[in-house]
Amino acid sequence: MRLKTHVLGVTYQFRDLKEVMAKANEEKSGDQLAGIAAADMRERVAAKQVLADLTLADIRNNPLLPPEEDEVSRVIEAGINEKIYSQIKNWTVAELREYILRSDVGAAELKRISRGLSSEMVAAVAKLMSNLDLIQAAAKAEVITHCNITIGQKGVLAGRAQPNHPTDSIPGIIASLYEALSYGIGDAVIGVNPVIDTTDSVKNILQATKEVMDKWQIPTQNCVLAHVTTQMRAIRQGAPADMIFQSLAGTQQGNTAFGISVELLDEADELIRREGTSTGPNCWYFETGQGSELSSDAHFGIDQVTLESRCYGLAKRYRPFIVNTVVGFIGPEYLYDSKQVIRAGLEDHFMGKLQGLPMGVDVCYTNHIKADQNDMDNLAVLLAAAGVHYLIGVPMADDCMLNYQSTSYHDIATLRELQGLRPAPAFEQWLEKMGLMERGKLTPIAGDPTIFM
Amino acid sequence: MKEELVLDTLVDKVMAELERKLGREKTEDVAEGEDSEQEEERIAVPQPKWREGLRELLASTPARIGVWRAGTRPLTKEVLRFRRDHAAAVDAVYGEVSQSILDEFQLFAVETCFQNTENYLKRPDMGRIITDEGVSVIKQKCKQRPQVQIVVSDGLSANAIDANLRDVFPALLDSLRAYGLQWGTPFFVRGGRVACMDHIGEILQPDVFVLLIGERPGLVSAQSMSAYMCYRPRKGTVESQRTVISNIHKGGTPPIEAGAHIGTVLKKMLEQKASGVQLAI
Amino acid sequence: MEEQWITSVGIDLGTSTTKFIVSRLRLARMSSHFSLPRYQIVERELIYASAIYSTPLKTGDEIDVDRVSRILSEEYKRAGLTLSEVKSGAVIITGETATKKNAQEIVHFLAERSGDFVVATAGADLEGVLAGKGSGAEARSRNIQGVIANIDVGGGTANTALFQRGKAIGTVTFHIGGRLVRLDQAGVIHYVAPAIQPWLRERGFRIVPGQQVSFSLLQEIARQLSRCMLSYLAGKEQGAAGLLLLGRPLAEVPAIDEVMISGGIGQLIGEPAPTNLDETATYGDFGPLLAHALAQESRHCPFRVVPAVQTVRATVIGAGMQSTEISGSTVHIDASLLPLRNVPVLKLEVGGRQLTAAAVKAEIGQMMELGRRLFDATVSPPFALAITGMGYCSYAELQLLADELAAQFAEAFPDSSIMAVICENDMAKALGQSLTIRCQHRPRVICIDQVRVEYGDYIDLGEPIAGTLIPVVIKTLAFHEAGVEGIQ
Repeated sequence: MRLKTHVLGVTYQFRDLKEVMAKANEEKSGDQLAGIAAADMRERVAAKQVLADLTLADIRNNPLLPPEEDEVSRVIEAGINEKIYSQIKNWTVAELREYILRSDVGAAELKRISRGLSSEMVAAVAKLMSNLDLIQAAAKAEVITHCNITIGQKGVLAGRAQPNHPTDSIPGIIASLYEALSYGIGDAVIGVNPVIDTTDSVKNILQATKEVMDKWQIPTQNCVLAHVTTQMRAIRQGAPADMIFQSLAGTQQGNTAFGISVELLDEADELIRREGTSTGPNCWYFETGQGSELSSDAHFGIDQVTLESRCYGLAKRYRPFIVNTVVGFIGPEYLYDSKQVIRAGLEDHFMGKLQGLPMGVDVCYTNHIKADQNDMDNLAVLLAAAGVHYLIGVPMADDCMLNYQSTSYHDIATLRELQGLRPAPAFEQWLEKMGLMERGKLTPIAGDPTIFM
Repeated sequence: MKEELVLDTLVDKVMAELERKLGREKTEDVAEGEDSEQEEERIAVPQPKWREGLRELLASTPARIGVWRAGTRPLTKEVLRFRRDHAAAVDAVYGEVSQSILDEFQLFAVETCFQNTENYLKRPDMGRIITDEGVSVIKQKCKQRPQVQIVVSDGLSANAIDANLRDVFPALLDSLRAYGLQWGTPFFVRGGRVACMDHIGEILQPDVFVLLIGERPGLVSAQSMSAYMCYRPRKGTVESQRTVISNIHKGGTPPIEAGAHIGTVLKKMLEQKASGVQLAI
Repeated sequence: MEEQWITSVGIDLGTSTTKFIVSRLRLARMSSHFSLPRYQIVERELIYASAIYSTPLKTGDEIDVDRVSRILSEEYKRAGLTLSEVKSGAVIITGETATKKNAQEIVHFLAERSGDFVVATAGADLEGVLAGKGSGAEARSRNIQGVIANIDVGGGTANTALFQRGKAIGTVTFHIGGRLVRLDQAGVIHYVAPAIQPWLRERGFRIVPGQQVSFSLLQEIARQLSRCMLSYLAGKEQGAAGLLLLGRPLAEVPAIDEVMISGGIGQLIGEPAPTNLDETATYGDFGPLLAHALAQESRHCPFRVVPAVQTVRATVIGAGMQSTEISGSTVHIDASLLPLRNVPVLKLEVGGRQLTAAAVKAEIGQMMELGRRLFDATVSPPFALAITGMGYCSYAELQLLADELAAQFAEAFPDSSIMAVICENDMAKALGQSLTIRCQHRPRVICIDQVRVEYGDYIDLGEPIAGTLIPVVIKTLAFHEAGVEGIQ
């Protein structure tokens, strides 16, 4: 493994793969906080240059976090198809990039090689790709999943209705949900983040959302994004959950900080298959986001792009219906400004898609980060072009419970019209039946939540 | 019942109440007429299927619903309202706590190693350490080993302190009095993160600690404050050992009630010699 | 504590029947770990319903206390309950029974012997509202746009409560019930309740005890009674129902979209219609005929008739399962002073604006004055002071309130050792602490919050559950007429 290179008259000798991977990243405040980022642009380019010439076998043979020490690494290792891997293991990362971008490589080819790739290889290639590379490559991938309905088809942009309320008031949640539905949003999931992590509260929200779905015969799926153990209790007590949710980290220790393990996820997986209310087979909803391992001091000196990719490697095990990266939520110490958020959003979306995941993105920011709604408009357009599965829909982009801004019901409706994208087919039929949509356009009554009262 | 006259009085009162209610309904109609502009502005949906129902929906949540659209884009007024609230939130991050409020409660100020707001945002670790100068000021001015140590910090919203300290702080002192708890010398920390209580805990060795700190501002409120409480915070204290009451502001957890409840929590911490997840409330 | 079950009972002594139920209420934390604690009743489960007994009477106008007690003690045994397990509930005495001469006495007698915190209630309005909660009308109103009326028709009265979007918006009571006319299978009249005699006279019906009447005459009486009440509710012929009204009419009859009929008569609607006198007099009265007349006539009304979830037990279920609320969880209490029963409420409406010292002083002064005139100044507490209408409360305003309340209460009620305050907003702990600092335990202060009360309400406060949760029963004499009657 060659870790030495020259750039603009300076010789760079890197210590190990971990250092190369970290320094090859585009600038991220999180890598700087961890003290692993490139010192300057020249060092960054040097690292990219070294990385480009490493082979996929180099990456596999030099694990950043050995499988013996970490269960996420074990899950990723176990997921590699040895036949396919052996065909591509001598490719350099540069060659992998070019293969992905070739005109004659489409969804089927990507799906095939993805089975021979580890999460670290996927992260490595993302580091060599420009934003437009990431968009084009992701747009090729096709990942179709089915819970109660199917999403992920080409030309479909789904939306998660996220009708959160600061005190979990059921009428308040339902009010925001009506607004979402009236804009044609809610096909990805009706997904509520609860404030109150009690079984009762989770049960109440699951029941209330399910009642609305039943009353109006809405072809979608519900989910309450409480900790997985709380959802499991609610489901065991008979709460109607179509999906089960959990946030993931890219290391075992990071997951311990989240209060989860592979064993627990396996147990939840079995439960949702046995007692979930959906058709399936895809019954999971995962959320991730760069920086979460560092925030729980469980990063092992590994950069945040690579760790994020490892989250997807873990997610893949459970064949989720949807996954999204909550890209700008974590704060400026991990992603400092809109430039870093946009880059991270495109990286995550690509890395997830290349690992066969149905990727959505929570295009978002908090108020202490250097970004505003215009930056979100930009990233949303880029992601729509990249074929993102779904975006988050919050009333006017302002989540009054989580205190951050995402994309709005209006935004998703706009992106659909602008880029000729449609809701999930089953959901679109329902919108037509309700008189809310005709030939892919919202009708004059769209935007009136009282049609559901 | 003491006398018949009394019965009449009550009848009068009940009748007056009734009339007031009925009358109020009428005046409410008038009032609605008067600021119908405002009311109508709130109801932006031009022809809702059920107008009354829309009012009910709007009243049920602070979320920005019933906002209507121009094509698929939001209306101008709503966009500007959003921008105004975002501006308030950003201002809160970059603002400073007013000196007058610190003077009012005789809080002297020390700083963390945060240097400036930009750096504060990028380096949360530096907001957890008090400067050397600050340490010596604390040592010099504060009562050592108090039962309760109170510290105020701007955190991510200076505005939260300006807006709530006048209500939370004295209510908190009342609750300490009500439980007979003794407090040390309160002071203010500029550029503080939650874990600055660990460093201060090392310096002053209090039994319990309460930190009133500005939260990351949202659009609903840029003035939200949290009260972080901990039993014997020291270097190495982990987050799960802290107890917190958050969302303290005019439209959230009522500041006076939050202040009044802090005493109850601290009392329990002292009794159980624990805080955070280990504390049974 | 995450959750706790409490047992709640309901006892309904009606004109013709007496029922008893046992329910369990589950209290659970409904707040995050980052906010002030808040508990709510999240589940109400019916676990036992007694048989339906004929209400035991000694004479025509006296309830047989001994027999009622015996029935109850057997029922407690059958339900496997001991008195100390019962933490909440209500005894309600309804319809004509409420007019019996020992009604007041018996209701308190039973309440005190039914469990730790079972409250005594009476009054047609409360009965109507509880029946509407028990029948399922209140729950249904949350899911429809318009107004739903629950008509609980028992032996002596038809208690009607109107609900809209989960709120009770009015009550009205009629002298319409199955036991108002009693007869035997030969059609011989045994009793005609005095309450409907003026109406019968006005309508030209002459029936007296001992007289033999025809099936068709009785049917006509039942039909006209039904029509009279239904037209009133449909907003027509307000005058015709005048003679049937018990208490005041509705201030204004809103447009009613749906009607539910509960009570014993509600249940009879589901049974076959009588076709002759023999079938009519199954229970010795014209109830079956009235039930079917009501069902028949309601088809011609502008509202939909929807089936009640509970009929004959609607009131007792309402009383047992729906009467208890839980106060806010940050409160200021002294457990040794609880429970407090039957405390009358006086309301201090503070208004949404900024408080001024002069206004607060004057308002509180007036209220203390009224309290002194209305209530015994030596009782502890003489009344509960409800603070409502307050917007945001700053610390400065809190001090203002506490100063005036402490000073003026001490002056007006020097012999009373408890001051009870009920805040609408979440501020009880702060206010309680401020008051205690001032009062120094003379008087002792009970301050709870997040409970809505009205003038003329009576409130019962139970013993705290898990330290700070106070079960509260508000005996609303809401809506208009009952404010005065409730004082006796």
